[in-house]
Amino acid sequence: MSREPRGVYLDYAATTPVDPRVAARMAECLTQDGIFGNPGSVGHPYGEAANELCEQARAQVAAAVGALASEVIFTSGATEANNLAIFGIAHYYRDAGRHIVTVRTEHKAVLDPCRELERRGWQVTYLVPDRQGVLDPAQLAAALRPDTVLVSIMHVNNEIGLIQDIAALAAVCRQAGRARLHVDAAQSVGKCTLDFTALGADLMSVSAHKAYGPKGVGALVVSRPRAVQLAPLHHGGGQERNLRSGTVPTHQVVGMGAAFALAHAALDEEPGRIAALRDRLWGQLAALGGVLRNGGDGPGGNLLSVPHLLNVAFEGVEGESLLAAVQPHIAVSSGSACTSGTGEASYVLRALGRDERLAESSLRFSFGRFSRESDVDAAGRVVAAAVRRLRRIGGA
Amino acid sequence: MRYSALTQRYFADAPASGVLVGPDCARGAAGSRAAGTWVQFDVQVDPQDAPAPRRVRAVRFLAFGCPHVIAVAAWLAEQSVGMLPGARLPESVQSLQERFEVPVEKRGRLLIIEDAWCTAMGASLAPHPAGGLDIGAGGPIS
Repeated sequence: MSREPRGVYLDYAATTPVDPRVAARMAECLTQDGIFGNPGSVGHPYGEAANELCEQARAQVAAAVGALASEVIFTSGATEANNLAIFGIAHYYRDAGRHIVTVRTEHKAVLDPCRELERRGWQVTYLVPDRQGVLDPAQLAAALRPDTVLVSIMHVNNEIGLIQDIAALAAVCRQAGRARLHVDAAQSVGKCTLDFTALGADLMSVSAHKAYGPKGVGALVVSRPRAVQLAPLHHGGGQERNLRSGTVPTHQVVGMGAAFALAHAALDEEPGRIAALRDRLWGQLAALGGVLRNGGDGPGGNLLSVPHLLNVAFEGVEGESLLAAVQPHIAVSSGSACTSGTGEASYVLRALGRDERLAESSLRFSFGRFSRESDVDAAGRVVAAAVRRLRRIGGA
Repeated sequence: MRYSALTQRYFADAPASGVLVGPDCARGAAGSRAAGTWVQFDVQVDPQDAPAPRRVRAVRFLAFGCPHVIAVAAWLAEQSVGMLPGARLPESVQSLQERFEVPVEKRGRLLIIEDAWCTAMGASLAPHPAGGLDIGAGGPIS
């Protein structure tokens, strides 16, 4: 297959390529000579073999996130896992209370389900973190009410990479009693230590495609010791402990298991290598002047962030033009959603106190397993040239 | 966002970006950086002792804005050489919108360009007689 040059890929936080080792395991589950059976058909060898692979994958996922295998519910991805957690808790415990607490800087996959519940009569409190993105446990404690049934807070912010102190927030929830804590950990696997049990959360969402696994599969981890109950979103078949009916896609979950095992094994060395790449690019960009680091420019900011994200605001350039100038050469995400033609500044960066212009002129660089120093240097050159040119044209 | 080939070309090349300094130059600007779009045109007309009618010798622009804004401003600056001072846009805002395939949501940005153009061209009817403009960033044309 021929491909046109696509530029340097620095958008690993959006998605990652499937690791070839993962793809090979998945391919073994697709064709007639492979493990293609329905994992629910355990009455014959085809189904048994598939079921065995799925349970191996479940164990691999559990081991990578510090959970029990029996706590892992496979879904179509983190978005579905978030929806299952939020709607599942809200509906199961609707007679106990109809109040939810979340944070303004959450992913849309959490905010939109919360908005939908508001339309259905639930009340939602949206907490505002500090300018670094940190949520003070005292803020959460103050927001909890007797009728709060769910708190949903992400582990690693997908735009700025901040790692939230989930354990401290979980302690607040436990002290309050009734509220269950759901954690969106879609950006965490392979980037930092992720231990569901140690965090003390009740539910946690993870995604395969952020960690060199396939798109279309993820999981919701549901605590068994805490006896969390959920109302299912899907009905028909009773798979996944009756929480997610539908044939389990063997190749997808096998890919997720293999990807998580590889990511977990690489945790000792990979974050250090990635952090060096991030710091190398930051050094090149900072030399331009008029450059601000979103989420990591405060005291101790780096200590709270995953290494694979660098979010930078460029003064004196317009965001859409900056993106248009760099994207033919490097794949990055911007601080604005330009789908409408008018550009909407990132609500995350705005919530963190960036003004609209700086939020729009922000770029998110995210690094990964296949990133090299040459990629970073190429990106540094492209961005520096674009910023200088746009500043000159803009009379800055 | 996808851009037309014309928009891409003028955004990438941005011909005639810069400022003009000196006698027979006039300037017009509109919009604001804080609001997301700002455009400035500098217009240089023939010297006063040139044979009538005096015409536009050069135009330069500065623009803080999206690729459509930069591309349209660059194209206008390029088109303007040889025009009579005070001339209107060489084509309507509607035509510019169609030529550059500018989304309707951005039409307001084209009106800012038009305002800057009209101000500069209006000023070019009586350009600064000598000594040029007091400008900040940028430099003389090369």
